Amino acid sequence: MHKTFNFDFIGKRKLFFTISIVLVAFSILSTFIFGVDLDIQFKGGTIITYVYDGDLDCDSFVNDAKEILGGAGVKYTTGVDFSTGKSNIQLSLTSTSGLSSDKQFELTNALTEKYATNNIDLIESSDVSPSSGREFFLKCIVAVILSSIVLIIYIAIRFKKIGGWLAGICAIIALLHDCIIVYGTFIVCGMPINANFMAVVLTILGYSINNTIVIYDRIRENTKLYGKKKTREENVNLSINQSLTRSINTSLTTVVAMLAVTIVAAVYGVTSIISFSLPVMVGMIAGTYSSVCLVSVLWSFFEDKKDARKGAPKAAAKQA
Amino acid sequence: MRKVKKPVFFVVLLLIVLFTLSVFFGFSTYYGDMKTVHIKGLDNIRFGIDIKGGVDVTFTPPEDVEATDANMDAAKEVIVQRMVNLGITDYECYIDYDNSRIIVRFPWKDGETEFDPEAAVKELGETAELTFREGHEVDELGAPAGITAENVILVGSDIQEAYRAYNSQDNQYVVSLTLTDSGKEKFAEATARLYKENGVISIWMDDTCISYPTVSAVITDGQAQISGSFDAESSKALADKINSGALPFKLVTASFSTISPSLGSGALHAMVIAGIIAFAFIAVYIIAIYRLPGVVAVIALVGQVAGTLAFVSGYFGFMNGSILTIPGIAGIILAVGMGVDANVITSERIKEELYKGKTLDGAIESGFKSAFSAILDGNVTMVLVAIILMGAFGTPDSVFAKVLHFAFFMFGPSTAGTIYSFGFTLVSGVILNLFFGVFCSRLMLSSLSKFKALRNPVLYGGKKNA
Repeated sequence: MHKTFNFDFIGKRKLFFTISIVLVAFSILSTFIFGVDLDIQFKGGTIITYVYDGDLDCDSFVNDAKEILGGAGVKYTTGVDFSTGKSNIQLSLTSTSGLSSDKQFELTNALTEKYATNNIDLIESSDVSPSSGREFFLKCIVAVILSSIVLIIYIAIRFKKIGGWLAGICAIIALLHDCIIVYGTFIVCGMPINANFMAVVLTILGYSINNTIVIYDRIRENTKLYGKKKTREENVNLSINQSLTRSINTSLTTVVAMLAVTIVAAVYGVTSIISFSLPVMVGMIAGTYSSVCLVSVLWSFFEDKKDARKGAPKAAAKQA
Repeated sequence: MRKVKKPVFFVVLLLIVLFTLSVFFGFSTYYGDMKTVHIKGLDNIRFGIDIKGGVDVTFTPPEDVEATDANMDAAKEVIVQRMVNLGITDYECYIDYDNSRIIVRFPWKDGETEFDPEAAVKELGETAELTFREGHEVDELGAPAGITAENVILVGSDIQEAYRAYNSQDNQYVVSLTLTDSGKEKFAEATARLYKENGVISIWMDDTCISYPTVSAVITDGQAQISGSFDAESSKALADKINSGALPFKLVTASFSTISPSLGSGALHAMVIAGIIAFAFIAVYIIAIYRLPGVVAVIALVGQVAGTLAFVSGYFGFMNGSILTIPGIAGIILAVGMGVDANVITSERIKEELYKGKTLDGAIESGFKSAFSAILDGNVTMVLVAIILMGAFGTPDSVFAKVLHFAFFMFGPSTAGTIYSFGFTLVSGVILNLFFGVFCSRLMLSSLSKFKALRNPVLYGGKKNA
């Protein structure tokens, strides 16, 4: 029952670095392959969703909408509203100034009147001016950057024993890695980058940093315990292996819990939750991978580089 | 912790069960039809508009208008007054002076079907019609009637400004009015007449009477004072309301979103089912893997989840609850993950110590001890991130927002406040995790290990007793 692992994580670092670089590169490249669907929460614009009964001549509906709005660009998609089972039509407008509530009021009234037999009903509308969308986007980025700086400082102080600053920076590199993969998931699944995306990124940020800290904690403890008796490589390998059961059990429980959420949401057709739970699941796997296979391996790689530059004789590589 | 006695487990268990039940169901007493809520239960949780549906709108003056802070105060008063008139009582409304914005958010009322959000928002942004009228005659709906309906003494444009003042002679707050030249004449004529009759002038915002002072002097210089039992706050509120009638602009929407209630309720229902399934899986899995410490972990997790919901619902009288949004639920999930992790780390450590050949008591003791630094560091980093989020996306008058103003000074309050809820539930969950997942787990496990039947190391993941 009690397993002790003995993987050579450091020895496989080329493999891990390659996997990560490929994943990150793919996530970034997917921006150009699939295109980014920046939600109007960030870029500004208007989306109005109506539900209707019976058959609706969508093209003439949209043309009427265009006319009322004075020839603005209107695109539409149609679908079925899961909770009411009614058909819906979603109008999206990209405008430079946002749609005033007066104008929207006028639009809805005119459409409801003209298509009275279809029982047009407003179900959801969202209008964001481009300036407040941009501001929200920037604010999210500032929040993430500030969090990263605070985390680096905290790790630097708490893990002074194992060269805190470098450890902090490695942890943040891994966070960046995880966030880019989460971003890639959004792009590949064609989900819009919106406030949900921010919630996912923040969840993964917390999840991944916690995983990393558990392993750093073990390295800190083993450094105290064995001091110079073990090389850095041995110490890192030992620490990762010692905490491996914990990493697997914690990740398994949380990932399966998210899987349950995703499946239930899929059964009920709640897309707003799937667009959260699915990328969180991917992010959790990425976060576990990066903290087990990447962070401390990267950290020991950089520490070695630092030693070499200092000209300090590298600790004699003992065969484990 | 060697001194922990056998009954401790049952005391902790009972407390957690009672706490959980009271959080879920609350405690109310009925006096006739009057319901008094003593302890808030889960039905007191206020859901965000992404779950319950509702309206989120940001108003701003038109582009070419430079609004002063006083203008913004006045504009907010109009909006609040109108929401009350529309029967919207559960609202958030705050001003961002730096960017001249007013952010308003309100969820649907239960059973609301006929509410037209577009019309409501259109109405909220309109300029208020302020009137000073003779007398205070009202019809059954509270609208002006009789002479009050007929004789309008002053309109909004007759008033230059209203402000709060302190009358040191009588030691009381008053509202001071400065009238324009056009208002001065009309007011002098009216007060001269009404003073003799000991008459009343009522002040109206749209169709709502906001004050009806008795005329106690003839005012000819255009400087009037309204006195009464005002305190600092109510005098400012009345001055703001009067100013709103003199507002030189109409508000426009900078962002505006509505979500119908039917969209939200399905999401909530699914979330509850998913939560129960996910929790059941976690419970079965940890008990299967970690046995006795697993059972203790599940009890602690129940306490942690109940505690987080208690923070959200406002169960603890000393602090207000918070609105729960979908990102807020994400925060609860992450905190539960942290709670699972704390227990997993500890159980793993205990197992390790047992394999090193330690006695059961020694293994439990040092297992908790050596796990603590990792748990603490993990949880503290989480709190740091959560605080930054609450500062960035909270209301501008919150503590965290003020502390972090240096980083976010160039941004106004966010238009998507749902992320604040993430920080709130995360911070509550993590603090509770340290209490339940570390402190209570330790008490329970130490006490259980005193029972003879439960002293077999195999129950803790160790080797069988020879």
